[in-house]
Amino acid sequence: MALPDMTAPAEGAQEATLTYTDGSSRRVFTTDTEVAFPDGRLIVSRTDLQGIITHANDAFVELSGWTREELIGAPHHILRHPDMPKIAFKGLWDTLAEVKKWHGYVKNLRKDGSYYWVYATAVPNVRNGQVVGYTSVRRKPSRTRVAELIPVYRDWLAQEKAAT
Amino acid sequence: MKLNFLVAPDFAPERFAGWHMLNTVLQRRSGIHLHLLTPADATEQTQLLAQQQVDLIYANPFDATDMIQSQGFVPFARPRQHYDEMVISTAAGNGLLKVEDLKPGCRIAITPNKDVKLIGLRLLEPADLNDTLIEWVPVESYQAAARLVIKGEVQAAFFLADAYASLTRLTRNQLQVLMESRISDISHVVLAHPRMDAELPRISEALLGMGSQPSDAAVLDALGLARGFESMSREDADFMIDLMDTLLD
Repeated sequence: MALPDMTAPAEGAQEATLTYTDGSSRRVFTTDTEVAFPDGRLIVSRTDLQGIITHANDAFVELSGWTREELIGAPHHILRHPDMPKIAFKGLWDTLAEVKKWHGYVKNLRKDGSYYWVYATAVPNVRNGQVVGYTSVRRKPSRTRVAELIPVYRDWLAQEKAAT
Repeated sequence: MKLNFLVAPDFAPERFAGWHMLNTVLQRRSGIHLHLLTPADATEQTQLLAQQQVDLIYANPFDATDMIQSQGFVPFARPRQHYDEMVISTAAGNGLLKVEDLKPGCRIAITPNKDVKLIGLRLLEPADLNDTLIEWVPVESYQAAARLVIKGEVQAAFFLADAYASLTRLTRNQLQVLMESRISDISHVVLAHPRMDAELPRISEALLGMGSQPSDAAVLDALGLARGFESMSREDADFMIDLMDTLLD
């Protein structure tokens, strides 16, 4: 499913074009506004094997800015922020394919162009020996770790752009 | 025929009568003799399970995961809209206002409840605290945990939210909540041993029917589970198990 382009906010947004692993592209607009991860909450989502969202809990709906109806059926890369280098997700799908758990710090994009940081964990849903989907849980991250990773991700992103 | 019904030892003391009331109603409606087991602590629960004496169990989610995966217990019910949340509390007026005020080496009182520790550790991650950076002070009850906090012998304590809410007003007035989870996806689970396959439909019908008769409200109020119980499928349980798995590290 190809996501529609974002609508440009009134002012103060940066424009970027994201190309996803399924080959589709989308124009996004981002702002410098960070939305704090709410204390005590967990964001929970499930996807099918193709990464299409099949479950979104209330915290996911609230923090993403999308309605539940918009999220269900959408690809999980609807959250992808252009500041996230591809290499930060390296190993995600390989790890899940090995029926193992993946962790990572991720800057996520909200519907309105603002962002939020999470510590994400993804696990394969194994039923009767078969992987039938994936569960992703995002929790409030360590700000120390986020601060350490911001320049690292920036460098990786610059290297990726230089290589294209 | 007599079946043993074990209730995990993490309910507040004032709920004790409620479990006996529920047991009586379930016996009457199912026609099955149920013997209620209320182990004093997690160790006694483990011993009873090891002796293969448990046919039905109201288990905390952490234990339920192991019983489903390792021992073949069958999930069939859970409290309706009643979730296992936890509270991190400190003493009122001690200057600690948020979890980030807790520093490496801090002392935290903790009961043997594994779910509470697991969720609490995840809530402390924003403070850059992990298992090895905390000096754990084991206690046997939430009342004991509260006493240590109030006396200033620990900086904080982990509580099951239900247990925190059941502390006396006098105690809670001397405490302050630093953080409370609002996960809404993790709950206790009612499980049946696979050997009671034949009896399960009658027990399940009786439990899920709680709330259908006027007299049930008193029982459910006594349990602190006012909305009664709802059906839980194996897929529901597997979903919760996957979620718990993401919280392990």
